[in-house]
Amino acid sequence: MTDGRALLELSNIVKRFPGVLALDRVSFDVRAGEVHALLGENGAGKSTLIKIISGVYQPDEGHINFSGNTVRFNTPAAAQNNGIATIYQELLLYPELSVAENIFMGHAPKTRFGTIDWRAMRSLAREQLASLDIYDLDVNQQVGSLSVGNRQRVEIAKALSQDARVLIMDEPTAALTGADVERLFRIVRLLRERGVGVIYISHRLEEIFELADRVTVLRDGACVGTSQVIDTTEDDLINRMVGRTIEDLYPKQLSRIGEPVLEIESLSRPPLTRNVSLTLRRGEILGLAGLVGSGRSELAQTLFGITPAQSGCIKVNGVECLIDSPAAAIKLGIAYVPEDRSTQGLIKPMSIRENISMAVLKEISNGNLINHLAERELAQKNINQFRIRTSGMEQKVEKLSGGNQQKVVLGKWMASAPDVLIMDEPTRGIDVGAKAEIHRTMSELACRGMAVLMISSELPEIMGMSDTIAVMREGRLVASFTRGDATQEQIAAAMMSGSRSESDEGLVDSNSTKGAAA
Amino acid sequence: MSRVAPTVSRMPSVLSTARRLALSHEGVLLIILMVSLLVLATQTDRFLTTDNLLNQCRLMAEVGLVALPMTYIIITGGIDLSVGSILGLCAIVLGVAWKNYGLPLEFAIVLCLVTGAAAGAVNGYFITRVGVPPLIMTLATLALYRGFAEGVSQSRSVRGYPEWFYQFGQGELFGIPTQLWFLIAALLISAFVLSRTVFGRALYAIGHNETGARFSGLAVDRYKMLIYTFSGFMAGLASFVFVSRVSTTRSDMGTGLELDVIAAVVLGGTSIFGGTGTIIGTALGVVLIQLLKNGLALTGVKGDATIMVIGVVLICSILITNFARSRQATEKPGD
Repeated sequence: MTDGRALLELSNIVKRFPGVLALDRVSFDVRAGEVHALLGENGAGKSTLIKIISGVYQPDEGHINFSGNTVRFNTPAAAQNNGIATIYQELLLYPELSVAENIFMGHAPKTRFGTIDWRAMRSLAREQLASLDIYDLDVNQQVGSLSVGNRQRVEIAKALSQDARVLIMDEPTAALTGADVERLFRIVRLLRERGVGVIYISHRLEEIFELADRVTVLRDGACVGTSQVIDTTEDDLINRMVGRTIEDLYPKQLSRIGEPVLEIESLSRPPLTRNVSLTLRRGEILGLAGLVGSGRSELAQTLFGITPAQSGCIKVNGVECLIDSPAAAIKLGIAYVPEDRSTQGLIKPMSIRENISMAVLKEISNGNLINHLAERELAQKNINQFRIRTSGMEQKVEKLSGGNQQKVVLGKWMASAPDVLIMDEPTRGIDVGAKAEIHRTMSELACRGMAVLMISSELPEIMGMSDTIAVMREGRLVASFTRGDATQEQIAAAMMSGSRSESDEGLVDSNSTKGAAA
Repeated sequence: MSRVAPTVSRMPSVLSTARRLALSHEGVLLIILMVSLLVLATQTDRFLTTDNLLNQCRLMAEVGLVALPMTYIIITGGIDLSVGSILGLCAIVLGVAWKNYGLPLEFAIVLCLVTGAAAGAVNGYFITRVGVPPLIMTLATLALYRGFAEGVSQSRSVRGYPEWFYQFGQGELFGIPTQLWFLIAALLISAFVLSRTVFGRALYAIGHNETGARFSGLAVDRYKMLIYTFSGFMAGLASFVFVSRVSTTRSDMGTGLELDVIAAVVLGGTSIFGGTGTIIGTALGVVLIQLLKNGLALTGVKGDATIMVIGVVLICSILITNFARSRQATEKPGD
């Protein structure tokens, strides 16, 4: 179907933000009837590029050419009216409204009297879904009651109800299970046959090989190259994306592994922590792998006292103890760098100084009285040690970049001088440079004898940083490997195999298994 | 780890400090307060007299005492609507315990304070343990406690307290109304606790992001329990001062007090969304409202119009602060 002429063409796009060159002369095009994958690490500029195409941002330099004319989209609405639809990672649906209402939000069919023509809306919605080979969705159903996969299909139907000629999909499979991924792929292929140009963003390389016609790689705001998918290999793409090898990316130093610090036996808090036994030793980095929802964060929060265990036994330094609150966990030398920086890790409207002292306020105070001098010293020490880029310790944390915010969280917990550091997705959403710094810090801490429990959904991170790898599935610990013993495929298989046996659709094939591995 | 030398915070020039203060909400309030004082003083010669001002201090003591814990509560993002009803209940407990049950008056006063704290603790318990939103919980106890007060009092008032009891509400100490000493002491302690202690820092943290505070190991529930109990206790203290001032106990005492208190706290710059606010701001808010009420009444403005003026001042003070903040933000872009 690809006819060779570009439907949408961006040339030499430059976009600057204060202090950052987000896009540096990037050229990109998509043809009618092709799937063009966009690849790059977090912070590489993918999101900025999409936002320029969809009219959220305007480029500082460069041109956008759409079906032969030079255009400028000043608002997202302008891009939509021209037939450019975007499906963001967070779906923008109204959970309280029906499927039909969501599809026709803002452009509902009207009757002669100007009121909404409900009957027409329902039948048009049904047609729209049928055109995507979707027959199992009731247009009257409330969107909030649908599964994530089905909500996404509604979102696609909504995008296409406005005659989209270019469809941008930002990590559409991030939250999907195997069967839903397969259904999504069928829809994307259908759209390609109908001549829609699809821009497809994903971190899962396998998906790109299965679905895309061409692939463009971005790195640090610059275009590293566009090629036909059939002319390239996975290694090739990784090299282009990262610009270095795995060894540079994960500066793991070998550390001496000592005596056990944290031992847990048959720890349970249903539904997502079931009979977990684990030993964490001094100097060890234990990587906890698993799918989203497999119970890793829940286990961490049980260990940290947010959701105390219902049964089982926790020993810290050989002594059995009860952890029924975060304060109790902190006292035992356990620190938790949570997954959700914005709500759990930091109090963003407060200053760096106040955030860093938050977990140790009692310790640096005389009784109940805050020692402001000690607090400032502590903040300055952390800013220096973790190289937090800031105008000063009084700066509000919300003004920092993601990577610097994460360093503040790390500093906050290092201030409590823990024996056990639990890090939940420590490098999610931060740029390459800060990521490497956090990995280096993690490795240094282990060398100094700290025990680190690292939860990560990125298998390269797990494999690059861990001494021991444990895999969780449905709240249980299902496998464990020592460093160098496991391949990505083995770990991915352990993460997935349960859902395969329990899947009633039998559609979880090797593709989606591998898909989760990327 | 080597000791890092204490950082020298750059001394901003006196001028820019003054500028910052004037642009802060408290600065704006202080300017409005001064302007109101001047304007009202030119309108009537009965306003700016020592006697009148001291008398106004007497009248604002109850609102002031309750506004202090209310500042804490609103800083955490909560609200306590039941303070007026707690005041009524405590007043009744005081009167009935002394008159009908013949308890010594000293003991009745203690009982009154304990009742207040207990009523506040009930609010706190349901808010922290059961998870009832503060607005709903205290709206319910607003009705409940007033109902108790009416039931216990059987709609009869209590009067005829001994002479020494009136000292608290009507007497003077070193020429200053007795209850003003209470208010000043409570104010200084509250301001110190809020700005200097772990407890105060925790209140701000809870108001900005309760989950984040919990994940930092702060005892969020215990702190919230404490401030609602404190709120009830201060309503009890205010009831005792109130009864002493007006020489009688009635079950409808303190009706509508919660709105006066909340208005003063919000006028003082405490954000209803939580996270910001100071005791100084609240104090200025209490004073400003009381002076406007009194000054306008003395210049012959009718009661309804006074309330309107207070409403306008409330809106203006917030607009001015917002304007000043957005000016500041545009002067220093980026960061």
